[in-house]
Amino acid sequence: MSGSGTDPAGDRAGDPTRESADEPTGDAADGLRGTPAVRERLDRVEDPELARSIVELDYVDAIEIDGDRVEVRFTLPTAWCSPAFAWMMATDARDEVEALDWVDEARIELCDHMHGEEITTGVNARDGFGETFPDADGDVAAVRAAIADKARVSRQREAVQLLLDAGVDAEQIVSLVRSDLTVVEEEAHVDLGGLSVVVDAAPIADYLDRVTTSGHVTAPGDTLFLTPEGGPIPPEQLDVVQKRSRLATVNMGGQGAVCDALHRARHGPDGPDGSGSPSFDESAADGATYDGDVDEFTSTWTVGTDD
Amino acid sequence: MYEKDGEEIFVIDGHVHLWDARQENIVHEGGEQFLQCFYDYHTGFTPEEEQWDIDEYRHYGADRMTEDLFGNAAADMAIFQPTYLDEFYDEGFNTTEQNAELAEEYPERFVLNGSFDPRDGEEGLRYLEHLKEEYDIPGVKLYTAEWRDESKGWRLDSDDAFEFLEKCSELGIENINAHKGPTIRPLNRDAFDVKDVDDAASSFPELNFIVNHVGLPRLDDFCWIAAQEPNVYGGLAVASAMSTHRERKFGDIMGELLFWLGEDRVLFGSDYALWNPDWLVEQVINAELTDEQKDEYGVELDVETMKKIMGENAAELYDIDIEEKKRQFRDDDITERFDLADHYGGDAGAAAD
Repeated sequence: MSGSGTDPAGDRAGDPTRESADEPTGDAADGLRGTPAVRERLDRVEDPELARSIVELDYVDAIEIDGDRVEVRFTLPTAWCSPAFAWMMATDARDEVEALDWVDEARIELCDHMHGEEITTGVNARDGFGETFPDADGDVAAVRAAIADKARVSRQREAVQLLLDAGVDAEQIVSLVRSDLTVVEEEAHVDLGGLSVVVDAAPIADYLDRVTTSGHVTAPGDTLFLTPEGGPIPPEQLDVVQKRSRLATVNMGGQGAVCDALHRARHGPDGPDGSGSPSFDESAADGATYDGDVDEFTSTWTVGTDD
Repeated sequence: MYEKDGEEIFVIDGHVHLWDARQENIVHEGGEQFLQCFYDYHTGFTPEEEQWDIDEYRHYGADRMTEDLFGNAAADMAIFQPTYLDEFYDEGFNTTEQNAELAEEYPERFVLNGSFDPRDGEEGLRYLEHLKEEYDIPGVKLYTAEWRDESKGWRLDSDDAFEFLEKCSELGIENINAHKGPTIRPLNRDAFDVKDVDDAASSFPELNFIVNHVGLPRLDDFCWIAAQEPNVYGGLAVASAMSTHRERKFGDIMGELLFWLGEDRVLFGSDYALWNPDWLVEQVINAELTDEQKDEYGVELDVETMKKIMGENAAELYDIDIEEKKRQFRDDDITERFDLADHYGGDAGAAAD
């Protein structure tokens, strides 16, 4: 990803119109306190539908720090975004920020959403989704699981392609188990019964991360690559599974484009705060059209950073 | 009618609305949020010079709609897809009856679909019969994610829904347009679900299931189901607008659809007034796949494919004889009103089919 908004180190100097009034000064010297630290935690929170960071996606409107209390305000691309997804992002944001040892309490506010008040109240009161929405069917855990599974399917393709390109054949790929793989720094070692193939670690590590989160491939003897339904892949089916994996990626990218367009439509070109700081990379926006991968269009608008 | 590479492309816009979101019609804050959300979709995927202001977007009226669709022959015909939303809008947002005012003025140009909600029970079945009798509807538009009292939506594969589909089959209402896209008011049940189309489609092989918005954000589930159910179709509303600003994403989606469904089961729709065929049709017709996409998907977005997507596939579903229509449109009311005789006067059609 070429997103420049994800790297706290790459943040622009603080936007003077957006500074947080109660920012503790002088404490940020080690880089572990203050807004950058909060942003770094928030960067781990994903929009579940897109499997991308809410910081990168520019959902975060403001971070305010008052001693050991942190308030985070965020807005989603549409007031109609699924409350279950909104709930996940809000609770994840709260938990991530509270994982900072200097933070005692994080308060999350979801702005401009059809269920903004209920979600804000529920999340800050530490209620469950079911208490906040007693008439909802099912629970958030089931939605999380479904989403994690989509991310797993989507990430499998690149990992498998890497092995195919390295000369590993379909039969071998479908019979790999977790313990056949070892990731050492930049390299992934694939044990093919005595023969070892070395490939770039990143796509493999990324896949392992997703597949574990999805609840699959947890034991050393578990089959490594799976159908979207979670079963073993017959070798002759590997090609169609790869195409379904591509499809999952295109789906997520398509939805990402929709969310990004709605987000920009809601906030205009000047960012959510109307501060005049650009909500997206100006060089990319110069042309009348851009051939739009959202990744190429990642915002450089940043929340009130301190220096 | 458009001409591309010397071929005429007859355009049937498969997804249009005549809605009313004026303040006086809104009775619930959801109605205002809904319209604002639509407006974000509009501005997000409309070239700047084609954007409307919010007031004309709330209510544009039959006259303007006629002009937008047909004034420069952007579309040759259009299919109404009603959206009731009675809880939000006093008189409804875009009902069959509201759409009928225009559809009945130019019956040769419009197809008028109805709607049902299985939660209406016996009364709903009577209403469906009434719609058939009154308007001879060839299809219905359905919103499975709509809230109603205690209910947070319904499923196409439920017993109640099957009773209505049974009735559709009996009445000859063949085209079941299901909104499976951005959800209307979902909590969690419907957030990821397009799967109920699967069982319904295999249980009613005599009906056609057109999944609007190609299931986005569930394109993957949708394509996989459609690959196995030959009576499942993809409606391009919303997806087609991605040809604005997002050409490559649009190309990917078209590549997937053509790969999994083939060129006979994808239907263009503008979702007017979300987007205006006035400019969107031309943009979609001129959309191209990159070489990389052509290689990846092994498909082409050539004129023959475009002719199917933009009109022929809908004509097949709604029993429209395109050649007959071209003859009829040489001097119908719309052609007289907008001076379109040139568009339908040629003999080019005779060579086709």
